[in-house]
Amino acid sequence: MFFRLSDEQREIQHAVRDFAQHEIAPHAERWDEESYFPRELFRPLAEMGLAGLLVSEELGGTGLSRLTGAVIYEEIGKADMSTAVWLSVHNMVTGLIAKFGDDEQRQRWTPRMAGGEMLGAFALSEAHAGSDAANLRATATRDGDSYVLNGTKFWVTSAGVADVYVAFLRTSDDGARGTTAFIIEKDTPGFSIGKRERKMGLHSSPTGELIFERCRVPLANRLGAEGEGLKIALSSLDGGRINIGAIATGVAQAALDVSTRYAQERTAFGRAIGGFEGIQFMLADMAMKVEAGRLLVYQAAFKMDEGDPVGQYAAMAKCFATDSAMAVTTDAVQVLGGAGYVRDWPVERYMRDVKVAQIFEGTSQIQRLVIARALLGDAAKER
Amino acid sequence: MNIVVCMKETPSTTAEKSFSPDMRLERRKEDAIPNPFDEYAIEEGLRQQEKHAGSTVTILCMGPATATDTVRKALAMGGDRGVLVSDDALAGSDAISTAHVLAAALKKIGFDLVIFGNAAADAYGGIVPSATAELLGAPLLSYASKLDVDGSTATIERQADIGYNTVAAPMPTLVSVVKAINEPRYPSMKGIMASKKKPLDTFALADLGIDPATVGAAGAREKALSAEKVSTQRKGEIFIGNEGAADRVVAFLVEQKVL
Ligand SMILES: Cc1cc2nc3c(=O)[nH]c(=O)nc-3n(C[C@H](O)[C@H](O)[C@H](O)COP(=O)(O)OP(=O)(O)OC[C@H]3O[C@@H](n4cnc5c(N)ncnc54)[C@H](O)[C@@H]3O)c2cc1C
Repeated sequence: MFFRLSDEQREIQHAVRDFAQHEIAPHAERWDEESYFPRELFRPLAEMGLAGLLVSEELGGTGLSRLTGAVIYEEIGKADMSTAVWLSVHNMVTGLIAKFGDDEQRQRWTPRMAGGEMLGAFALSEAHAGSDAANLRATATRDGDSYVLNGTKFWVTSAGVADVYVAFLRTSDDGARGTTAFIIEKDTPGFSIGKRERKMGLHSSPTGELIFERCRVPLANRLGAEGEGLKIALSSLDGGRINIGAIATGVAQAALDVSTRYAQERTAFGRAIGGFEGIQFMLADMAMKVEAGRLLVYQAAFKMDEGDPVGQYAAMAKCFATDSAMAVTTDAVQVLGGAGYVRDWPVERYMRDVKVAQIFEGTSQIQRLVIARALLGDAAKER
Repeated sequence: MNIVVCMKETPSTTAEKSFSPDMRLERRKEDAIPNPFDEYAIEEGLRQQEKHAGSTVTILCMGPATATDTVRKALAMGGDRGVLVSDDALAGSDAISTAHVLAAALKKIGFDLVIFGNAAADAYGGIVPSATAELLGAPLLSYASKLDVDGSTATIERQADIGYNTVAAPMPTLVSVVKAINEPRYPSMKGIMASKKKPLDTFALADLGIDPATVGAAGAREKALSAEKVSTQRKGEIFIGNEGAADRVVAFLVEQKVL
């Protein structure tokens, strides 16, 4: 059993940390305050090879392992969760086009996406269909050699700032096989952006609605076969969960780092607050949660790289790492006291940001469901 | 154009520093990084390579055998190959010995343009570029904040108290650069992966025809006697009052050459 990243992985970790701490972290507070989406970061991230993580070199990507990806997302999450989230969505979408697209689609989109020219977004959720993602209402109707799209997508990360959207729409009533994936470029007639959500956190990653009104999309923009949509969406699930677990681990580590330094420096009753057992135990618990979450994330990523069945491990990693990160960031605010509650310190932002990690890519409840079903088999099925 | 960038392995600037009884800086492999000042030299080498088609960039380092990792880190930014000069007899070398070794290695490799950082972050000697140039009988364009290579002439700008001086030299030449010259790139994922496969030669003293008695601790002309922690004390000066305070602040800043 190996508990050590390879030399290459550690070098990548070091390079990404260097970049994230210099080019992202110093701005995160202002971006949050102004709900500013830093598009200017996209090109440099791509130049480093971080915009095509799941794409082969021939298509302009870097084709790195999931474990290396987890290391990368942790470092970016440590600097700014918003950036890590839109980047991971972009990488997922670019990866889907590379994996399920035909040659023409691959050549048309992946090099420009991996190269930092076109940003990708992923549109599955609808107002009434989040956890219950098979229950889609937005439709695509075949008309000659094109499809006509109608309906609204909710909660789309990078809505309005992305250039390429992979959206899942209903093409028939045939349950799981009634969904089809489409690639839609931003200026397509009949496609518009609805309201931008005003969120608790994750301010510099815009989230919003996509509206399709008799939006005509050529057959050449259908990703995969008709009816394959849900399969395509679900294929990204395990990897996406591991990534969110990694990002949350990064945020938790950042919160622990700030709390530890603060406890060494802040004095009360004539001593550093780190001298009080109440603070010591809180920090010790935080550190355990961060380490355990990271190990579960690394393990799930490793299994995925090995080609092992990973569903329940990805669910465990995502659920544990994000629940832990929520607890750790909440305690970080506590360790800093009043300073923790004000925006001069980053921990309140960490706490606001990381909450959503327990919600998207499958809520913590859904993850537990996945784990329980793997444990119980038929006994877990509803009657 | 044959470009060689000289790069020293230094301990990370944040690493805890300690000294052996004979006053040598103890170097731990985990803390080793390319000298941060040399990143500007590497970047400049890569930019010159991009401007002058057909150029090659070699990273040259004198250091312990384990410095191959550090050379590969530098090669992750770019460049074609690495050369490490390493020999047990080199331990304890002073700046002049280092210059002798680099000069011999440069003769062996061949060069049109050699680029140095202006100092190393561990000892801040800043002598090696000029000493190497002297030993090679080649010109040195020092403290460059801009470099242009045109045919057989290299021209630099060197920051002066007011404005800058323009200095030129015929090639082959050595150049030392300051931080203002560029913004070093971050290594890319591809660069990191490619760096593992780039050729890296290791030379011993015998390969360079250098007598071990003339270098290392044996040949050192410099000797460190003691080391002390620098204590930085901030002395604040407070200008109070509505009248005249602004003028005094301006006068102070002018005196400090900030304005
Ligand atoms: C900032 C942000 C960005 C997002 N980005 C995207 C994106 O880019 N693309 C996209 O498609 N979607 C995105 N989403 C949507 C996200 O994936 C959904 O919000 C999520 O799947 C939860 O769905 P829901 O909001 O409908 O909650 P619901 O499904 O309504 O859940 C409500 C509550 O019920 C619980 N629950 C639901 N079903 C069960 C069950 N079977 N057993 C036990 N408990 C259950 C849930 O755990 C939760 O506590 C984003 C959301 C947010 C907040």
